Amino acid sequence: MVLKKPLLRRQMLLFMPLVILVVVIFAYPLLRAVWLSFHEVSYGSGKPAEFLGFANYRSILSSDAFIASAGRTMVWAFMNLVVQLSIPVGIAMLLNKNLKGMVAARALALLPWIVPTVPVAVVTRLVLLPRLGIVSEFFNTIGFGSMHFLGNRATAMPVLVLINSWQFIPFGTLMILSALQTIPTSLYDAAKVDGCNRWKQFQYITFPYIGIMIWFVGFLAFAWNFNTFDLIQLTTQGGPGRVTETLPVMIYRHAFRTFRLGEAAAMATLAGAVMIILGILYFWKMSPKDDFNQ
Amino acid sequence: MTKRTGNIIHQVSVFLLILFLIWPFLYVLSSSFKTLAELMTDPRFFPREITTRNYETLMRITPLRNFPQIVSNSLFVGVFTALATLVISCFAAYGLSRNRKLATGFIPRSLLFIYVFPTIIIVVPIYQMMVQIGLYNNLVSLIIIYTALAAPFCTWLLISFFMTVPIQLEESAQIDGAGWVTIFTRIIIPLTAPGLLTVGMYAFILSWGEYLFALVLIESSSRNTAPLGLARYTTEQYIEWGPLLAGSVVIMIPVILIFIPLAKLFIKGFIAGALKG
Repeated sequence: MVLKKPLLRRQMLLFMPLVILVVVIFAYPLLRAVWLSFHEVSYGSGKPAEFLGFANYRSILSSDAFIASAGRTMVWAFMNLVVQLSIPVGIAMLLNKNLKGMVAARALALLPWIVPTVPVAVVTRLVLLPRLGIVSEFFNTIGFGSMHFLGNRATAMPVLVLINSWQFIPFGTLMILSALQTIPTSLYDAAKVDGCNRWKQFQYITFPYIGIMIWFVGFLAFAWNFNTFDLIQLTTQGGPGRVTETLPVMIYRHAFRTFRLGEAAAMATLAGAVMIILGILYFWKMSPKDDFNQ
Repeated sequence: MTKRTGNIIHQVSVFLLILFLIWPFLYVLSSSFKTLAELMTDPRFFPREITTRNYETLMRITPLRNFPQIVSNSLFVGVFTALATLVISCFAAYGLSRNRKLATGFIPRSLLFIYVFPTIIIVVPIYQMMVQIGLYNNLVSLIIIYTALAAPFCTWLLISFFMTVPIQLEESAQIDGAGWVTIFTRIIIPLTAPGLLTVGMYAFILSWGEYLFALVLIESSSRNTAPLGLARYTTEQYIEWGPLLAGSVVIMIPVILIFIPLAKLFIKGFIAGALKG
């Protein structure tokens, strides 16, 4: 008890390097992006930045491409969310059993999450090549005809949704698995004695236990989807046309291909604002008041 | 249905599920041993004729391509990212774990939020920052950024490992006259070694695969990281699938080799972390 006061100071001191790193690499650049969005700047010309007021915002908000991309990003995020919230619950329930081989299965199930996106994009492109890809050939033999999945306006987005979700699913599964493991098995035994069927057990025992976690996974998944850049850039680059051009792809193109920095910063600021508002809403409304296990 | 057959059905369905989840990796592995002629004509799963030609082409050094070089760049970045992340997240997690109020709830959840935060938003300012301080086109800039990307998640993971070390252990060591360095090296680190190993591995894997910041911050091809270099092969006019698949395998293998033996630990730490909130 003598230790109390200097202890807290030392605790905060140890936390500081991380805080500094986060401030330098996340917080400061975030503010800087806001600043940039009100200015006209160019790379390395040495010209001083010129204050523009809301001109960048006016220009992007009046551009159909930006509005379409923002809408598309929402569609993209929610389509992914449907896959990302339904499938992990099922997988987690399958893996939440102590049988032979389950440890290995859990490890292997994590691979889609840890393998880098670049090889994933390479494989994606290979298996979907028209006529030469094993997946498109499979769809050809079962009668869909020769499809160019990534080059077709109707299929490009759904295909990328599946692959992006596939990459996220292990993370979501682990989160949900951890919630499942807090459920005392005695609850299920009691329910069986009372004659509850499987669905009732899920509805009245499993779901209440994992509900909070599902919200949390949904929140993280939404942010993850909002963030997806590598996969889209490396497979379709936003095409065909612009049907897969979500905000990150569009921001990248504005910043590093057409060099409209101020507009890129304005888009980034709006996207960041959406994420931060969502974050605040989540923490305010959905965050449990106590720990899961208390 | 007896319990035994039920279990077998369960195991078989898990096996099928895993197969369904990871078949693309098996497919790229088997395809990387196909001849170019077969790759460009026949999408079957197993190669008809096994060749290592693709790997030989990949390893050959040309003025435009130097795969061994980019792999060693990635190793350099990965090792230093892992070390820096270990130090920073170890300190932070230790500090937080010794205070129950800080160790649960808001701070850990914010750390996870940083983990999924859309990095595209900060790319332009970071690019300018690195140009300004002279770290543009320098692998050190990637080490700094990857550490910042990995450390919040690693801290989140480590908090739960540190919470398992009883504070009484430290207090009694302190009474015996041990300073904080001794406490750290003799008690904390040995007891949380599995967690530290997990975190180091995670930081390495993250930096090994990162693409966006490498794309923006690295210009010369001799300083490419492995994913960036490989991605550049795909943007060439004519895609050479053979070396590209071999390169994909070479990039995936270290990740899988490091991860699988440690996966059990990782999952344990992850689950403890997730419950802490």
